[in-house]
Amino acid sequence: MASITSTRRLPAQAEHHAPARMPFVQQVTMMTWRSLVTNFRVPGVILPPLIISAFFLLIYESTLGGASGFLPGLRGQSYLGFILPLSIVSAALSGAGVAGQSIVRDIENGYFDKLMLTPISRGALLLGPMVAGAVILVLQTTVVIMVALFMGLEPVTGLPGLLTVIGFALLLGTAFAGWTVGIALMSGNAAATQGASFLFFPLSFLTATFVPLDLLSGWIKVAATYNPITYILDAMRTTINIGWNAEIMAGGVAACLIMGLVLFAFAMHGLRVRTRRR
Amino acid sequence: MSSGAIVADQLVKRFGSDVTAVNRVSFEVKTGEIFGFLGPNGAGKSTTVAMLTTLVLPSAGHAHVGGFDVVSQAAQVRRIAGVALQEIGLDPLMKSTELLTIQGQLFGMSRKEAQKRAFELLELVKLADVTKRPVGKYSGGMRRRLDLALALVHRPEILFLDEPTTGLDPASRRDVWAEVRRLNREYGMTIFLTTQYLEEADELADRIAIIDKGQIAVEGQPQELKAALGSESINVTFKDGESVELAKHALGDMFEKVQIDRKTLKLYRNGAAEVVPAVVNRLNTQALVPVALTLTQPTLDDVFLQVTGQSFQPDAKTAEVA
Repeated sequence: MASITSTRRLPAQAEHHAPARMPFVQQVTMMTWRSLVTNFRVPGVILPPLIISAFFLLIYESTLGGASGFLPGLRGQSYLGFILPLSIVSAALSGAGVAGQSIVRDIENGYFDKLMLTPISRGALLLGPMVAGAVILVLQTTVVIMVALFMGLEPVTGLPGLLTVIGFALLLGTAFAGWTVGIALMSGNAAATQGASFLFFPLSFLTATFVPLDLLSGWIKVAATYNPITYILDAMRTTINIGWNAEIMAGGVAACLIMGLVLFAFAMHGLRVRTRRR
Repeated sequence: MSSGAIVADQLVKRFGSDVTAVNRVSFEVKTGEIFGFLGPNGAGKSTTVAMLTTLVLPSAGHAHVGGFDVVSQAAQVRRIAGVALQEIGLDPLMKSTELLTIQGQLFGMSRKEAQKRAFELLELVKLADVTKRPVGKYSGGMRRRLDLALALVHRPEILFLDEPTTGLDPASRRDVWAEVRRLNREYGMTIFLTTQYLEEADELADRIAIIDKGQIAVEGQPQELKAALGSESINVTFKDGESVELAKHALGDMFEKVQIDRKTLKLYRNGAAEVVPAVVNRLNTQALVPVALTLTQPTLDDVFLQVTGQSFQPDAKTAEVA
């Protein structure tokens, strides 16, 4: 047939033939940007965590705020400052679902496979949605803090304290994203990924949720003692209501890091399972 | 090793212990050729493509694409091969330019180059005027064309198209055919195309292989395969299967080859037209009344019927309407 010719490529093609590969950092930046753009096109992903945490903040403050005077553990601290970290934890944990949802969307619509056929680094497949999730989380946390300020929050450590709280939200959210991302990669199923986010409930309620840890007793105290969220809450609460405390802060950071390492390893395992050729 | 663009050697893919989707499939596609891989749904076409394009590992056997081993040199294979899978993988929230630019950059182009390439390709697949619309709002045909553009971003030497026209309306199908021919003619691109439409393979492919139940049933040029049947056929259709059997008895001795395809009796011989009156006479004397009687040149359907003993029935025929 006439089409079998010696001109395998036009001269223009050979000239433009693509070089080796896009550098890793650029890949991650590009995939993060792409993830951010698409997430902002589905407000349904971003708004619910925000609404939930603002709602919690309002409800807890208005129903329990009046009782705070009777809570000996609070020692006259602001209940709003005590409950805001819980609201931020809710935002961080539910917001962490964004990364998992992005990945599961790609798997379901086949774009993940399409990317696998390019020279993309597997790390960029994982980090793009996770970094984008973290950026969204910072925005959400900032909005929740602004609501709290509007309700009359007066943090003792001022702006640096609030930035620290945002930093904790970022660490916690990114750590927890490892969980939803791992489930998304392993299941490739939106419902399973959504279901995985429910781990958020035991994590944020089997802890010093409404009253300080000292006031808890029995099994819930045991659960709270082993729940890393307890230490993260404590670090945020202390920073807002009492002041800088290196030891409590270190406890919070350690809790985030331990959770982060375990769950990131889980996500990496999920990535290996998903991208392994069978 | 052979010099062909695509060489499959005894490829096997098993899923679990009891399903063998592809069973010792071997073929060779020459550089610059359009190769049609033809078979009904579930015959093993997509699994073969998945192995050749490095998405799935073969259970046994070997395959080379552009001289690279699909197992141990997957990265090189991905660089020279363009792939448009049957399941179109597009993020519906993104726009065509975004998808194409990302693809180009991942293949090592600068952002500017990738954008330039994106617009070039959008012109090529006639989507340049819908760049503002998210891909999710595209029609099936538009999505196919964009998927084809994505497969072409890195100027592949070898293009894999897995059922590129399934589910398309006839007009979009002709567009895809024209594009496939153009890529092959102008760029000398080797094209491996799977299809469940005989007509499509006949129209486009320099050579075809028919795969059935995981095995290659026959391979060759369409003309050659049809010529191998050697003869025209008289096709007589009856109301019921019983009449078909009776007619087969009555007419069998007049023909070189007789096949039953549901309620149609296919009678093959050279100069079939001359014996039509005799056929009608014999049917008359047996009191067999046909519903229809046609005279045809051999088609790929006949080839398929002959090699597999059953007629070729694409399951997705209804998809044409969609």
